[in-house]
Amino acid sequence: MTRSLPDPRVVFALTLILSSFAVIIRESLVLMAIQVLIGFIFALAINVDFRMMFRRLKRLWQALILVSILRSIFMPSGLILLEIAGLPIITLGGIQIGVLVLLRLALFIMSGAMFTCFTVRVLIQGMVQIKMPYEVAYMISVGVRFVPQLAQELKDSLTALQLRGIVIEELKLRKKLALYTYLILPVVVSSMQNAKELAMSMEMRAFRAQRVRTSFFELSFNRRDYAVLGAIAAYTAAMGAILIIGVRIF
Amino acid sequence: MAEMFKLELKNICFTYPTNEKRQNFTLRVEYFSPGKCTAIMGENGSGKTTLGKLAAGLLRPDSGCVLYDGKDIAGLKLGEIGKQVGYLFQEPARQIFAPTPVEEIAFPLELRGVSKEEAHERAWEYLRMFELENIAENTSYTLSRGEKQRLAIAAAMVMEPRFFVLDEPTTGLDKRRRGILSDTLHSLLGRGVAILLISHDRDFSSSLDAEIRYMDGGGFSDS
Repeated sequence: MTRSLPDPRVVFALTLILSSFAVIIRESLVLMAIQVLIGFIFALAINVDFRMMFRRLKRLWQALILVSILRSIFMPSGLILLEIAGLPIITLGGIQIGVLVLLRLALFIMSGAMFTCFTVRVLIQGMVQIKMPYEVAYMISVGVRFVPQLAQELKDSLTALQLRGIVIEELKLRKKLALYTYLILPVVVSSMQNAKELAMSMEMRAFRAQRVRTSFFELSFNRRDYAVLGAIAAYTAAMGAILIIGVRIF
Repeated sequence: MAEMFKLELKNICFTYPTNEKRQNFTLRVEYFSPGKCTAIMGENGSGKTTLGKLAAGLLRPDSGCVLYDGKDIAGLKLGEIGKQVGYLFQEPARQIFAPTPVEEIAFPLELRGVSKEEAHERAWEYLRMFELENIAENTSYTLSRGEKQRLAIAAAMVMEPRFFVLDEPTTGLDKRRRGILSDTLHSLLGRGVAILLISHDRDFSSSLDAEIRYMDGGGFSDS
């Protein structure tokens, strides 16, 4: 484990709290911005790769615009900024919700990115030491490693389909939908086959042959971890109080 | 006879972006003539598959250009390239999409505007050619590797490409089916299709009267 990194259980606690509040906070941009700021400071402290995060967020700009427009049309609120034939297309409330969604997504991606700073071994140990069964912890770590593989397979399948002379952009919507069903099915089947093969090879290597598993490597909290946990507890109490009491200024 | 097709790879330079698979090679002008098979041989990692992918537009070169009939393909969409080029991947499961073999061959034809009846008729023709008619309605995903290989070849061939890149097509095929594949490729060559064969199977390459080229460290070598 790198010396500068905190105990992974501290990160579990922080991401759990931040993600939970991100779901609970429905309208307040200020509260969400505070959440993102706290997440950002912590991520900065543990050297998260922000380039990867911004690359992913960049693709979400279109979604942000779409959410803003849909919200403005179907649930108009606030100042109308653009109106066509009496129908509000963009409202201040719509934009506010769009930004809120973006901040929420940024927080989720940032939370996920924090885990990439740790090795799989450290993460599993962290999960085991919060009393998660070893099988479940190991399954989660394997599952996470499958995600980029799935994305690559989907990309490869799309490439292979196009090489059959199919120009996706030229297809009508009905045919496009049919094409995507052709794409998703083999990826699902192949991941199930991969999972089965992996399970079999793990069994062959006597995975969980013994009921009790001991570990040479164990995690322990240091003073800094306790301080961060204390700060997380204080933040949870403060944010909980704000949300329960519903302080107007936020 | 298929329309004549000329492929040129001009001063190609390509490097994989990932550090693990850094490959950098330069090719001078290479032609793959119509009605002729060119077999690329070489050790693992010598750049054979990369060459195939560059030729089929799957990878875009860092510098240099790939020309089909003298026209640079840099501006073409992959789907447009796919109308002229067929590609058989090393791993056939990667290019099998439909739940049954018959649908697998028919659905791209239907997407390209061929009627359902005609698409299925042509699909059955290719299924018979590759001795897949007995499993035509089986689940595609549970086929053996050899069956998937034959299905992938049939599915690529039904699109009648002018240029066909086959990456290790004989893997998983027994001797008799290698013979059938050889006959089928011969008939394609007879129709003027250019074939780029990436293979370690010298006997198979010879059966197609292929011009054998050796790759070494990214470029072509003489031996």
